[in-house]
Amino acid sequence: MKLIYEKSKKGRHGFSLPEDQFKEINLKDCIPQYAKEEKEKELPEVSEVEVIRHFTKLSKLNYGVDDGLYPLGSCTMKYNPKVNEKLATIDSFVYAHPFADEKYIQGSLQIMYELGELLSKITAMDKFSLMPAAGAHGELTGVLMIRKYFEDRGEKRHKMLIPDSAHGTNPASSAMAGFKVVEVKSNERGGVDINELERLMDEDTAGLMLTNPNTVGLFDENILKIAKIVHSKGGLLYYDGANLNALLGIVRPGDIGFDVLHLNLHKTFSTPHGGGGPGAGVVGAKSHLVEFLPSPIVCTDDGKYFFEYPKKTIGRVRAFYANFPVLVKAYAWILSVGGEGLREVSEASIINANYILDKLKKYYRPAYDRICMHECVLTGREYKEYGVKTLDIAKRLMDYGFHPPTIYFPHFEPYAEETIMVEPTESESKETLDEFINAMIKIAKEAKTKPELLKGAPHNTPVGRLDEVKAVREPKLHA
Amino acid sequence: MRYIPNTKADKEEMLKEIGVSSFNDLLKDIPEEVMLKKTLDIPTLSEEELTEKIFKISKKNLGFRFFKPLIGAGAYRHFVPEAVKAVISREEFYTSYTPYQPEISQGNLQSMFEYQTHLSRLTGMDVIVPSIYDGASATAEATLMAIRLTHKNKVIISPLLHPHYAETVRTYTAPHQTEIHIAEYKNGLSDLKSIESAIDENTAAVIVQSPNFFGAIEDIESITRIAHKKGTLIIQVIAESLSLGLLKSPAEMDVDIIAGEAQSFGMDLNLGGPYNGYLGSKMKYIRQIPGRIAGETTDKNGRRGYVMTFRAREQDIRREKATSNICSNHALNIVAGNVYLSLLGKNGIKKIAELNIKAAHYLRTKLIETGKFSGFKYPFFNEFVLEVKDKEKIKDQLINNGFIPPFDLGIYYPELEGHMLFAVTEILTKKELDFVVNLLER
Repeated sequence: MKLIYEKSKKGRHGFSLPEDQFKEINLKDCIPQYAKEEKEKELPEVSEVEVIRHFTKLSKLNYGVDDGLYPLGSCTMKYNPKVNEKLATIDSFVYAHPFADEKYIQGSLQIMYELGELLSKITAMDKFSLMPAAGAHGELTGVLMIRKYFEDRGEKRHKMLIPDSAHGTNPASSAMAGFKVVEVKSNERGGVDINELERLMDEDTAGLMLTNPNTVGLFDENILKIAKIVHSKGGLLYYDGANLNALLGIVRPGDIGFDVLHLNLHKTFSTPHGGGGPGAGVVGAKSHLVEFLPSPIVCTDDGKYFFEYPKKTIGRVRAFYANFPVLVKAYAWILSVGGEGLREVSEASIINANYILDKLKKYYRPAYDRICMHECVLTGREYKEYGVKTLDIAKRLMDYGFHPPTIYFPHFEPYAEETIMVEPTESESKETLDEFINAMIKIAKEAKTKPELLKGAPHNTPVGRLDEVKAVREPKLHA
Repeated sequence: MRYIPNTKADKEEMLKEIGVSSFNDLLKDIPEEVMLKKTLDIPTLSEEELTEKIFKISKKNLGFRFFKPLIGAGAYRHFVPEAVKAVISREEFYTSYTPYQPEISQGNLQSMFEYQTHLSRLTGMDVIVPSIYDGASATAEATLMAIRLTHKNKVIISPLLHPHYAETVRTYTAPHQTEIHIAEYKNGLSDLKSIESAIDENTAAVIVQSPNFFGAIEDIESITRIAHKKGTLIIQVIAESLSLGLLKSPAEMDVDIIAGEAQSFGMDLNLGGPYNGYLGSKMKYIRQIPGRIAGETTDKNGRRGYVMTFRAREQDIRREKATSNICSNHALNIVAGNVYLSLLGKNGIKKIAELNIKAAHYLRTKLIETGKFSGFKYPFFNEFVLEVKDKEKIKDQLINNGFIPPFDLGIYYPELEGHMLFAVTEILTKKELDFVVNLLER
C-alpha cells in the first residue's frame, strides 16, 4: 500500500488553522540568526479526507482483539470494554494540565488514590505507585527500589537471581539497575530448582525476580519454600505481575512472600494494548519498601487528595504522574467486575487454557504435561522431522483467521524448545476455542502431509513473510 | 458477567472434558494455607452505575475544557483535530498488540515508518525511535546510550533542562555512579563557558534542551562545537516539538542524539500522560539506540512491507545485554502523531509554529508595556519568563476569569521566586490575550 508521502500533492492540507491575528509581530525579530531554518520541512501535503482514507486502509491491515482470538502467551489479550474508553475521555480529565493546582484536580487524584487502594486489596500490598508507563518500566522501578533498600541498610548486594523461564525484561531491568544477573534453572516439574536456588542465594544477592504463574503457565508449587530461602538470606522477592490474570481472588502475591511487584494494567486489568502501548506498569510495595516508591504518590487526608514525596524515594522515573487515562480504564474495569467477578475472570481463563492444553497435547507435546494455570505451553518439536518449524505453524494459523500464539518463548533446554505459548484469557467462548483447536489440528496434519503449505504460509495476508535480514542489511528507516 | 462468554454449564462441560471434577482440582499447585478464603470486598457496578460514579468524580476537577492554559512547562494544550481521535479510536489500532507478526500488523508498522519519516524530516536525524515512554524517560535513555557509546561516565546537564527530565536522568543513572554536573545559566540561556569548563576526558555527553525550560532558543550550534572540540557527544532535548516547524533542525547543527517529547503533535494533556517520547541519532549510533524501529523490506513476491528491525538490540533477544529493557511503549501515540503531522503537512507545521511564536511574543510585548512586569530578555519560542509583583493575586485573577495561571518557577528555581513561566499556543486568540493584559494591568 502507498505511503502517505506517495499521496502528497502540492498545495493540499488537512488542517484548519486560526487566522494570523498578530500581523504587527515580525517573525524575523523572533528567531535568532543561529536558529534560522533555511530548509523546508518536507511533510506530505494531503487533505483531511485523504488522510482519513489512508489510515482507515492502514487499520484494515491490522488485527485487533475485536477481530477475534488473540492467544499471545503472557500478553493477556482480553476484551477492552467500550465504556472504559468513554470514561477515560471525559473532558475534565482530558484537558487537565499536570501542573494545575492540586485543588483543581481532586477528581483525578481520587481516581488514582482509589485505584491504588483497590490494587492493594487484590494483591495484598500496602501502597502503589501508578507512575511507571509499562511493565518493563515497573520492573526497573521495582528493582531500583530494592537497590535503594539495601543501600539504605548499608548492605552491598550486587546480584539478582532470575529463573531461565523469565521474560527478557527481567534480566534487562536488573542490568539497568546495576545488578549482575544470575540465572536459576527450572526443574523437571517446571518450577524453580530449589537446590539450585539454595546454592545461589547468598548475602551478596539482592533477591529473586519471579513470575508466578511462570511463563510455562505453572504456579510454582514451592513458592513458600522459595520465599523462605530468599528471605532467610536477607533478600527480597520481586513479583512480575505479567501473569496475574490467573490469580485474581484466588491467591495474593503479598500473602505468599512477595515484597514488591509490578502489574500490567494493560494485561490483567483490561486496558487496551494500543499496538504496543500506552499501558501502565504500576508498582506495589510492602510496608518496608513504601518509603522507596518513586515520587510523587497520591495520599488522602480528611477527604482531600494530594501528592506526597516518599522519604527515601528512588526519585522520578518519568515526567508528571502517570498514564492517567489507562488508570481510569483499569479502575472502571475493577468496579465493573467486582470481587466475585475477579475470581470468575481467573477461573474462566484457567479453564480455557486447560481445555486447549487437553485438546492439543496429542498434537503438540507440551513443555510440561501437567495441569496449567491461565496459559499453556505446547511445542512444535515433533514436526521438525517434516522440515516444519514452529514459525511455520504460527504463520499458517493466520490463514485460518487467527492471530498466532507467542512462539519460541519461553526458551530453555531441555524442556522448553520450539514453544507455542497459548493464553486464551477469559474473553473467549468455548466455540471460539473449538475453532482454534480444530485449526491447530488441521495444521498438525498438514505439517505431515503438505509441509510446503506451511513453509510458504501465510497465503491470505496483505503481505507474505517479510525479509528481515534485508531490512538490516539494506536499512531503510524512513522514506 | 458480561465480559465472560462461558456460562456455568459451559465451564462444567469443559472441566469434564479436561477430566477433573471441579475447578479447584486445577489449583493443586497452590498451597492450601495461602488460598483466599473469602471473596474480595469490592462492589460490582452496572454500566450505568459505573458511568454515573466516574462522571461524578470527574466533576471534582476544574472544568478544564473551558479554561485556557497560560501554562506549558512541558505539557502544551494545542488544538487536536477530531480526525486524530477518530483514527486512534479504531479498534484495529487500539486493540492490537505489538507488531510481532508483521503479516497482520502492516497498519501499525507502516504507520511507524511514516512517523519516523515525519520526525526524520523535522529533525534531520537518520535514525528515529518513534516511541519511548515520554520526553523524560527518552532523555534518560539517551544519557545511558551516550555512556555506552563513549565508555565514559560523566554528563553535563544544562540547568534549563526540564526539572522532571533531569530528575529522571538521575534516577536512571544512579545505579551506574554516573557523575552529573549541572552547568550554569545566564539571562535565561545555558552558560556556554560553564559547560566548556566542566567538560573533561571522562565526559560522555552534554545535555541541553532547546527551546529550554524557560522557552529560550539555545545556541545549540555553538554548544555542539564546544562539545565536539572536546570529544564529547551532544544530546539535544526537545520538549516542545512544535518548535521544529520553524527552527533549525538538530542534524543541521551536528547534534549526535536527540531526545524529544511529541505531545504537541495531536495528544491531549491528560494530566501528564501518556505522551510521546522519541529518540533520534546519527546512523553510526544505531546499534546502541534503545527501542523499536520499523524498517522497509520486501516479501518473497517482492511486495513492499515493514518489519521491526535491528531487533538484536532488544530485551527479548539479548536479555541482560540489551540496550534497554523497553518493550511496550506509547505506540498508539505514534498513530496520533502520524495523523496530526499528515494533516498539517509541509505548510501547516510552519504556520502553526509561526502562530505560536507570534502569539507568545505579542503577549510578552504587551505585558512588558504595562510596566508591571520585567524579565529575562532572550529569544524564545512559545514560552517566556516574567517577574511578577504578586503571584498569588495573578493566579486568582486568571483562574477566576477562565485561564490556567502560568507556572510558578520558584518551585524549581528558588532564586527565581516571584517569576512565572508563561506559555502561549495557537488556542489563545488575540482578544483573549488582550483580556489577560487588561486583567493583569489592574
